[in-house]
Amino acid sequence: MKHYDLIVVGSGAAGLAAAVYAGRYKLSTLVVEGEFGGETATAGVIENYPGIPAIEGYELMRSMKKQAQGTGAVFLDAWVKEIIQEGKCFVVKTEKEEIRSTMVVLGIGSQRRHLNLPNEKELTGRGIHYCWTCDGPLYGGKVVAMIGGGDSSVKGVNFLAEYAEKIFLLYRDTDVRAEPINFERMQKLGDKVVLLPKTEVKEIVGEKKLEKIVLSQEYNGSFELPVDALFVEIGFDPDQTFVKQLGLETDERGYVKTDAHMNTNVPGLFVAGDMTNHFGGFKQDITAAALGSVAATSAYEYKKNNPDICVSHDKPS
Amino acid sequence: MANVTIYSTPTCVYCKAAKEFFEANNVSYKEKNVAEDEQAREEMVRKSEQMGVPVIDIDGTIVIGFDKEKIAELLGISS
Repeated sequence: MKHYDLIVVGSGAAGLAAAVYAGRYKLSTLVVEGEFGGETATAGVIENYPGIPAIEGYELMRSMKKQAQGTGAVFLDAWVKEIIQEGKCFVVKTEKEEIRSTMVVLGIGSQRRHLNLPNEKELTGRGIHYCWTCDGPLYGGKVVAMIGGGDSSVKGVNFLAEYAEKIFLLYRDTDVRAEPINFERMQKLGDKVVLLPKTEVKEIVGEKKLEKIVLSQEYNGSFELPVDALFVEIGFDPDQTFVKQLGLETDERGYVKTDAHMNTNVPGLFVAGDMTNHFGGFKQDITAAALGSVAATSAYEYKKNNPDICVSHDKPS
Repeated sequence: MANVTIYSTPTCVYCKAAKEFFEANNVSYKEKNVAEDEQAREEMVRKSEQMGVPVIDIDGTIVIGFDKEKIAELLGISS
């Protein structure tokens, strides 16, 4: 079995930043990618990553991967099925192979929330969509809705405005929580965008494709709103895949508990990115990357302080 | 050699990932941009009965999304 100092699970901003730092610390490092690029890859154009005025999220992730490879990190295009502790070592099981490591950085992010309404699954791809950068361009000249009150949904509205004829933005609260620069852009779209505050989707109606949604509040005298598409951008929940397997302590919302240096309750196991609530609701590419760098630094310190904790004669490759 | 067509939009990252996968495995493919080409969009909807991209047609078998495992199996690519 191959042995690495560090296995990074996940290849979003947190995982890739951890790999960049770990490589520079001369830790033998393997990144098990999962879905390449994580949430950043689907975020559309990113304009708030310092040093880069504007870049597609996918391209930013490709650049980070290249940088990590340049430091010596190795990548495995596979999904982790299980992580077990074997003495003071970790064994990471993927569908392709099993690999041993002294330390693990988990950066698997979060899982997209769904509306959990009847018909949602059946009409996914048939009017219900979760990736506006992917499927938004198919609705040229159509009437669409976006549900969600965060920055991503406002970015999504601004993106869809290039294609759709009219966009309804539905959100639960009285205000949207968007970056002012993105909100201002949306305001400049004028009548093309209709804001529906304090509004939720109660029903999804359609047979072979989405025909209309039923709102919790009336709009123009009706609870029914005919739309060609509904883009769902209502946030994420921390990924729980390895929490029970590894006995990780979490808070009441499922975020993995860490100290300020991304140490968990499991020695040698660190987390980074959206699995933690380190910066509260402020979850950005830059914060994920920062946490990845901190996790890698803690891994480096851990190895330095425990040089013989997991000894193997196996080589990385 | 398999006849491969990918229906995509320019901003779809899963489409980019699929094309990179084809290129890495020397699979030649035809690309149809369904954001601009209305005829291709109708063709995609007819074949896949849905509006999400990418849709990949491999010798008449339709794959919705970048399902790497299934695509590799259809193309006889071992991981």
